[in-house]
Amino acid sequence: MNNPLRNQISPEDQPMADHLTSTAQGMHISPNFQSNLETQLMNAHPSQHQRPSSWFSKAFTTLGWALAGFAGILFLSWAIRSLIPGPTPSQEILPTPEISLEANVRSGHICTASLALAHGFKVYLSSTNKTEFIRLDPQKTIGELRALAWSPDGQHLALVGNTTGHGNIFVTGATGDALQPVLPKSELGYLMEVVWSHDGKQFLTWSVANNSVIYLIEADGTGIEKITLNLYMASTPQFTPDGTRIILVGANSTVAGLLEVNLADRQTRVISRLVEDATGFAWSSDGSHLAYMEMDRELGEARLISEEFVTGNKITLTTFPIPKGSGSSLPTASNLSWAPDGSQVVFDFGRGANDRAIYLAYTDGTGIVKLAEAARTPALSADGCLAYISRGQVFLMDLRGLTSPSIPPSFGLADLPASSANADFRLDKLQWGAVSQ
Amino acid sequence: MTTLMKFYSPHASIDDAQLAQHAKSDADAFAELYRRHVTSVYRYHLAHTGNIKDAEDLTSQTFMAALESIRTYRGTGSYVAWLMGIAARKRAMFFRQNKPETSIDEAINLPLQNLSFENPVSRRLQREQLLRALRKLSPDRAEALILCFFSELTPVEAGRVLGKSEAAIKMLVSRGLQDLRTRSSLAMDVEYE
Repeated sequence: MNNPLRNQISPEDQPMADHLTSTAQGMHISPNFQSNLETQLMNAHPSQHQRPSSWFSKAFTTLGWALAGFAGILFLSWAIRSLIPGPTPSQEILPTPEISLEANVRSGHICTASLALAHGFKVYLSSTNKTEFIRLDPQKTIGELRALAWSPDGQHLALVGNTTGHGNIFVTGATGDALQPVLPKSELGYLMEVVWSHDGKQFLTWSVANNSVIYLIEADGTGIEKITLNLYMASTPQFTPDGTRIILVGANSTVAGLLEVNLADRQTRVISRLVEDATGFAWSSDGSHLAYMEMDRELGEARLISEEFVTGNKITLTTFPIPKGSGSSLPTASNLSWAPDGSQVVFDFGRGANDRAIYLAYTDGTGIVKLAEAARTPALSADGCLAYISRGQVFLMDLRGLTSPSIPPSFGLADLPASSANADFRLDKLQWGAVSQ
Repeated sequence: MTTLMKFYSPHASIDDAQLAQHAKSDADAFAELYRRHVTSVYRYHLAHTGNIKDAEDLTSQTFMAALESIRTYRGTGSYVAWLMGIAARKRAMFFRQNKPETSIDEAINLPLQNLSFENPVSRRLQREQLLRALRKLSPDRAEALILCFFSELTPVEAGRVLGKSEAAIKMLVSRGLQDLRTRSSLAMDVEYE
């Protein structure tokens, strides 16, 4: 802050002014970015293009124009090709078997579970023949639908709906019939997420009003229990397999990272101080393992860890290089999802919505496969179908029997529904219900 | 400012206005101006977007636009105010194309004071919370706070960017700080209810 202003700030506003100043001073520009931009500016400066004319410079200029012309032709060619709808990333690699996969899915032979999609503060369910997404609550009578969670048995879908800052949990069946409110009154404030307990008898939710408080609600809407934590949640908690503790990304005055909180005595245990991403952790189906992505800013490495929860044994499944230093712009890992048999973990990793990719890591630490470029929000079904979003569409990929590093077949299931809301892509979510018998 | 950039510069002792005149024909002079103000521009954009990638893109756009129009800078006012005017226009264009995520802004309400600065997660949470709180202020107050605290402009310079008097900027800053303080207090009240 500049001194002329500092002297005129009232004493009671001084702490806030200091807080603003220290926050600003903590915003460090990346040296690489700064250096690269300076180079670009120097090259673009008009004085750099005013050279004395000589035979050499004329020849150089001519060559330059020729190269520029060639580059222009290449650019035009690329632009024209980009206007024509192209094949999907996986189709580029394996173009032939998609038709049979698509036919199998549409006719209900594989990927039989209902697929729920949260996008743009609306929630959708796939149609029976998987040709479109059908919006739940099209009249928007229950406000913004911002979260979804299938029950452990996959038979019920719980949603969070918020109207004018008051939220409730709503439940519907696998086919998306009428949404039933869980709470008789919406008095908990704007609700963020909903999580089922492993036995399907309780919901966990939390509200904007206070991100140190969680609410445990019986699935029939009775018995709301308010639990105040001694930390601040940056992610929605997940129950441990025995239901006595929760796991979340959060912070208090002494620690931050992936934390475990005992619901009985509020004791906090640090699982990893290096987990930063709100959806960068997930339980295996049997609850025996926890996968999470660590961001080691000192080493400049992101590490996908699989931890056996009872013993604490850890395996590093894969690593990615990341910029070093606390001020750097880091990619994020999100939507970790385990295969039902626990043999694989899928997740997306990248910086923005369009430069993410979906990866599959084998949980025995034997390797990793990049499944799709320009793709995000992966979700694995119990019968081995991977759903994900890419280029404005929801795709399905067949991961059954994946044994080699080649990319399995995929196809575009349906267009992502148009959305007028400018919602963050990180709120998009895909989740499978139970597989039909 | 990175140490890599701290090499000897013949322009280091010249003030901004003179340097800007040299910068019309001298790439090194423009580079010196860039080094002096890149942090202010970057922090301005990061405070508005809350996103490092977008802040870097907007910083690039701002300096590229400044380079294109440096010949039109007449030297009658502060160079940094002229530069931040370009930054403000780039920011406005960005938000016309990418409307802010209003619902997410309402999402997380972290008390500002209680997180440790020691951990990168805490630092990031603190910064995100403060930026969210700034976005809830009236646009004039938020802009005045960002220009004065993040870009470190004087009230006179901020006034040039916003087309307001020095007194008006001081008033906006004062009321903006009060607003932030009130919102922070409310969060603390809820926390300890």
